Amino acid sequence: MARVEFINANLAIAEGVMAAGLRFFAGYPITPTSDLFEYLAVELPKRGGVVIQFEDEIASINAVIGASWGGAPAMTATSGPGFSLMLEGLSFAIMTETPLLLAYIMRADPSTGVPTKSTQADVFQARYGAHGNYEIPALVPWSAQEAYELGAKALWVAERLRVPTILLSDATLAHTFERVEFVPVRRAERKKPRVPPEEYRPYEPEDDLVPPMASFGEGYNVMVESLTHDERGYYAPTNEAHRRLIWRLVEKVRRNWRLIHDTKTYYMDDAEVAIYAYGSTARAAYAAVKELRREGLKVGLVRPTALWPFIDEDLKRAVGGARRVFVVENNIGLMYKEVARALRDKEVVSAPLIDLELPTPDQIIEVVKEWRR
Amino acid sequence: MTTVQAAAEGGGEVVEADNGKFRVVVITERCKECGICISVCPTKVLVKGPKANSRGYRYPIPEHIEKCIGCKMCEWSCPDFAIFVERVGGR
Amino acid sequence: MEAVRRLRKHPLDGLLRPERLPHLWCPGCGLGIALGAILRAVKRRIEEGYLQREKTAFIGGIGCSARASLYVDFDSAHTVHGRAIPFATGLKAVRPDMKVIVIGGDGDIAGIGGNHLMHAARRNIDLLVIMMNNMVYAMTGGQLAPTTPTGLYTTTTPYGNPERPINVVKLVATMGANYVARAAVTHPPLIERYVYKALGKKGFAFIEVISTCPEVFGRHIGMRDAVDLLNALRERVVVKQRPHIDESYYEWEGGKFVLGEYVDKDDPSYLERIGVIKG
Repeated sequence: MARVEFINANLAIAEGVMAAGLRFFAGYPITPTSDLFEYLAVELPKRGGVVIQFEDEIASINAVIGASWGGAPAMTATSGPGFSLMLEGLSFAIMTETPLLLAYIMRADPSTGVPTKSTQADVFQARYGAHGNYEIPALVPWSAQEAYELGAKALWVAERLRVPTILLSDATLAHTFERVEFVPVRRAERKKPRVPPEEYRPYEPEDDLVPPMASFGEGYNVMVESLTHDERGYYAPTNEAHRRLIWRLVEKVRRNWRLIHDTKTYYMDDAEVAIYAYGSTARAAYAAVKELRREGLKVGLVRPTALWPFIDEDLKRAVGGARRVFVVENNIGLMYKEVARALRDKEVVSAPLIDLELPTPDQIIEVVKEWRR
Repeated sequence: MTTVQAAAEGGGEVVEADNGKFRVVVITERCKECGICISVCPTKVLVKGPKANSRGYRYPIPEHIEKCIGCKMCEWSCPDFAIFVERVGGR
Repeated sequence: MEAVRRLRKHPLDGLLRPERLPHLWCPGCGLGIALGAILRAVKRRIEEGYLQREKTAFIGGIGCSARASLYVDFDSAHTVHGRAIPFATGLKAVRPDMKVIVIGGDGDIAGIGGNHLMHAARRNIDLLVIMMNNMVYAMTGGQLAPTTPTGLYTTTTPYGNPERPINVVKLVATMGANYVARAAVTHPPLIERYVYKALGKKGFAFIEVISTCPEVFGRHIGMRDAVDLLNALRERVVVKQRPHIDESYYEWEGGKFVLGEYVDKDDPSYLERIGVIKG
C-alpha cells in the first residue's frame, strides 16, 4: 500500500508534484502558501531538484519559465497579492507556450484582506487575470487527498499541453490536516521534437495543436519569443499570423478539455435539484446534500475538479435531469454567471455565501429549503 | 584595384576590393549609411559610394584599397555586420 | 569591371541569423557594434573549446538592446521587460552546464529590472549580464532613463532631467558581484576583451557598455549624426587598468566615463554554494 501521511493540502500538493517529477521551484513567501515552499525547500533538493527564494513574485514566475525552457518541470506557489504580481509573467508563459504549474492558494478578498482565512474570490483572477486573449486550465481540489492528486495532474497537464496551469486551492484547505495516501501518479512529460534541429520549428503544432518542445541546451537553437510570432518564433505582426497563433493557443486548451476535466457527481442519478459547488465549499455542500437526502429531498452535488476552461457540455452532462441548480460559492456569485449561461433552460440560483471559515451545511440547507416554498 | 560583385551569405550582393594583402568586403544590403566605417578608418580607405542599396542607403566603397593595413577597425565598428576585412592569399 | 559570382560571408554570420538582417537598429546605433564585439568574444571562447555553442544561451528582456537575442543563432529568449535576469537564473539553476548570457538595455536591466539585478549580484548567481547603456529609453521614443545624465533633455523631462543617474557599476560592485567592468562602443576590442574574460568567471559577471543612440539621445542633445555622437563619447571616455570604484560615477556635460575592470574576484558562486557545481 502507498505511504499514508496526516498532512494539509499544501504539503499534499508538494508531495504530488514531486511524485510527478517536479525539478524546480521558485517562490516568495506569502500566507497561506509558505509551508508548501518550506516543505519543498527541504525535500526537493534531496531528489535532485532546486528551490530558490526570489526577491519577489515577478522574479519567481520568470525564473520558473526559464527553468521550464531548461527542460525541468517547474512551479511556483502564491496567493492573491503575489498572483497579481505574477500576471505579466503568466501572460508571457501563455504566449511562449511554457509549461509551468502555479499553485494558487486563495485567501480572503481584495488587497491584504484576511491573509490567514479564505474565500473563493479569485476564480476569475485565475481565469483571465492576465492581459490578452487566452485560455488556461485551472484545477480545483476539495481535500488534501485531491490536492495531492490534482497537483500531480496539473503539472502533467502543463507539460502535456505546453501551457501554464493553475491549481486553485484555498486557505481553508491549506489549514486542514487530513489523511493523504500517496497513490501512484502519472509522470509529467512534454512532447519532444521528432525531427532534426534544422527542420524543427518550436511553435509548429501537431494535430492536437500542441507543438513538441525542444529545451535549451539540446542543439535546436530555439527562439523564445514574447512578441506575436510565426512557427519559427520570429516576430510576425500580421493579422493572419496573429489570428492563427491566438486561436491555436485558445483552442489547444478547449479542444483538449478531456485531459483536464473530471467533473464529479454525487446522488445525481435521480436528482431534481443540484448543488454546484467546488473546492472547500463543496465539502459543506456535500454534507448538506446528505442531510437533505435524509429528509427525502431529491438533491445531488455536481463538483467540477477543473473550473477552467469552462465546458458547457461537461456541465450539462453532470447536471442531467435536475431542473433547479443552486450555485453555492464563497464569493459574490462568480461561477454562477457561467453556470447560468450554460444552463439557460434550467432554473439556476446563485447562493453567494461569503464566510471566512467556510459556509456551513446549515447555511446551504437553509438556502435550498427557502426555494422549496 | 578590382571591384567585383558577389553573392553574400543570406542574399544580396557585395562590393569588394583587395590590395594583394587585404580584401575589404561590403555587404551592401546591410548598410545603413551611418558613416562610422569611413570615420574610423585610420588610413582613409573608404569613401561613400555613388550607388544606393534597395533601402536607399549609399554604401561605402574601398576606393583607396591600396592604403588598407588590415586593422579591421571598420569591421569592428560597423553596427550592421555590413563590412569585413580578410587577409588575401593566406590559404 | 569583372563580374564574379562568389560567396562572401561575414565572419560573424555563422553565429547570427543572417535571414533576419538588416536588424531593426537605427543607422549608426552603437548596439550593433557592441553585439559584434560580444559575438567575437563568444566565438573566440568556442574556437578555444571553452564554450559549446549548443550550451550557450542569450536572454533579453524588452527594449532595443534586448533585441540582440533575436539576431543570434543560439538558444535565445526575448522575454518580458526587466525580467531577463530571473529567466536566466531559472535556466542556469537547472542547466548549470550552460553558459547563460543576458543582454539588455539600461532601462530593462537597471530601471524596471533593477531589483532583479541587485539581488542577482548579491546572490552571485553564475550569469553574464551585459547592460548596454545608451542613457535613454530608445525603443519607446526617447523618454527618461534611470541612467540619463542630470540636465539632459528627454521627451518626459522636457525642461532637463532633474535627477541624478544611477551608477550601475557601483551598485553591482556593492552587491558583491565577482566581475564588474565598464566598456564603451568607442572601443569595441575592449568590449571583446572584457566579455571574453567574463565568460570564464564563475558567479555574477556584469559589464556595462556605454552605447550611442544617435536617433533619440543624440537628437535630444543636438547631435543627431552617428559619427559626431560617437566622437563626442570618445572625447569623454578614459580607459584605466584597474579603476577605483569611486571613479565610476559619470555625467555627460564635461564628464568622464572611466572604462576598465572595477571588480575581479572569485567569491563562491551561488551554484557552488548550493552544490550544483563544484568549487
